Amino acid sequence: MDQPRDGNRLGCHGAQEHGSRRQRAFLPLLVLGIAFYLLCLHVSEVSLSRLLEGLPRLWTWLVRSWPPDLSELDILIRRGLETVAMATIGVSFGAIIAAPICLLSARNIGVSPIVALPARWLLNALRGIDSFVFALIFVAAVGLGPFAGVLGIAVHTAGSIAKLWAEAIETAEIGPVEAARMSGAGRLEVFLHAQLPDVLPQLASILLYMWEFNVRASTVLGIVGAGGIGQELKNSVDLLLFDRVLTILLVILVMVTLIDQLSAWLRRRLS
Amino acid sequence: MTPVLSVDGLTKRFGGLNALDNVSLEVAAGEFVAVLGPSGSGKSTLFRCITRLTEPDAGSIEIDRVAFESLKGRALRKARGRIGVVFQQFNLVRRKTALANVMTGALPRLPLWRIASGFYPENLAARAGTALASVGLASQRDQRADTLSGGQQQRVAIARALMQESRVLLADEPVASLDPQTARMVLGMMREMAKSKGLAILCTLHQPELAAEFADRILLMQSGRLRAFDAAEQAVP
Repeated sequence: MDQPRDGNRLGCHGAQEHGSRRQRAFLPLLVLGIAFYLLCLHVSEVSLSRLLEGLPRLWTWLVRSWPPDLSELDILIRRGLETVAMATIGVSFGAIIAAPICLLSARNIGVSPIVALPARWLLNALRGIDSFVFALIFVAAVGLGPFAGVLGIAVHTAGSIAKLWAEAIETAEIGPVEAARMSGAGRLEVFLHAQLPDVLPQLASILLYMWEFNVRASTVLGIVGAGGIGQELKNSVDLLLFDRVLTILLVILVMVTLIDQLSAWLRRRLS
Repeated sequence: MTPVLSVDGLTKRFGGLNALDNVSLEVAAGEFVAVLGPSGSGKSTLFRCITRLTEPDAGSIEIDRVAFESLKGRALRKARGRIGVVFQQFNLVRRKTALANVMTGALPRLPLWRIASGFYPENLAARAGTALASVGLASQRDQRADTLSGGQQQRVAIARALMQESRVLLADEPVASLDPQTARMVLGMMREMAKSKGLAILCTLHQPELAAEFADRILLMQSGRLRAFDAAEQAVP
């Protein structure tokens, strides 16, 4: 009778000790965290006085931007459409690259880890480097213009789509897969017949989301010379044409809002 | 009579638990054999190990006198085509039609583009239609699986197994999710198929009265062990 009670008390004591150990580790961690934050603050050269000095300049620009310069609205709208086109084509190419990668990396298709692991590394590498960075490299390779942007979006988005698609495929029901496997069919046949129909709405929704996201994200690609309305934005800021900048921002806002609404509406219909 | 399905010494352990303990059985053509036992007795493990959806630890499985337990890759897939299966939860692709689900049974014979598009060759579609008609669902062929009732879904699953033209049908608690009346209809259909097509059927059940009514022979499963259900026990309800 004594022994279990003793053991129990020992257990309690152990738990207490564990708790206090966690408390003891907390304080140095907190100090370390604060130190890291202060270091970051220093490195990023945050300065209230410089912000205050800059504020009047921002104010005059804001005043000078009104009324917006609408003289070249047609050109700006065309450049906005170029951004939409870049995102659309970039995402579609990305999806084509993503399809085989996501099939190789999804855990419930039955691909050997020897192939699945490198596939996962590849998609993480593509996802880890931003389209902006890829676009910078592609501008050097294929020259200025929207095609460099398309390639940048495609390569980065392939990684993102592959990851999200693989996760969606992993939610497919196992039952129909086992039934299809028992027919004697191979992995690809089973995927197309029993898994794809189950997750198709999710995959389409992910694709639409990536499209909408890339329309928003690719407005800046023009800054590295990769086409679209971002290029107009950079030129106008460089030339201090703030009334034109305002028009560009309005075009971006309207465009992004329309695409967001359209994509959200389509995705609601899918679910 | 030579058995179509023969299992010898099948064993499966999960941790320290003997889920299957040296199980042996034989099913002849045209025979409906029921495996009766409470839940947790190892019935589902038996089903999963015979189909090798779960790998057994030891024992041999023969289908049509061909060793099944050691096959790998393409040979395993081909041999699996000789086993029709019916699951408790039907396991239909919800968003596909009854016909497309029956077509699952012919999947290895279809090119990828036909699987993806649903444009099935006429001869196979006709055969799937016949299979559906034989379970009384001719008019539901273009209905989506998730709009069918439980009994209808299980009948689609039986048609799917028929489409495979296998000689063995394994069923894991095929009527556990159905109401008593529908359960009788589904089991009656399976029994009729054993008789008319010479199918060897091994079917796990947990209701003794259903086993007594439909099976030619009953095996009892308890804690992973299998034994014959003798006449004396059968006499006592």
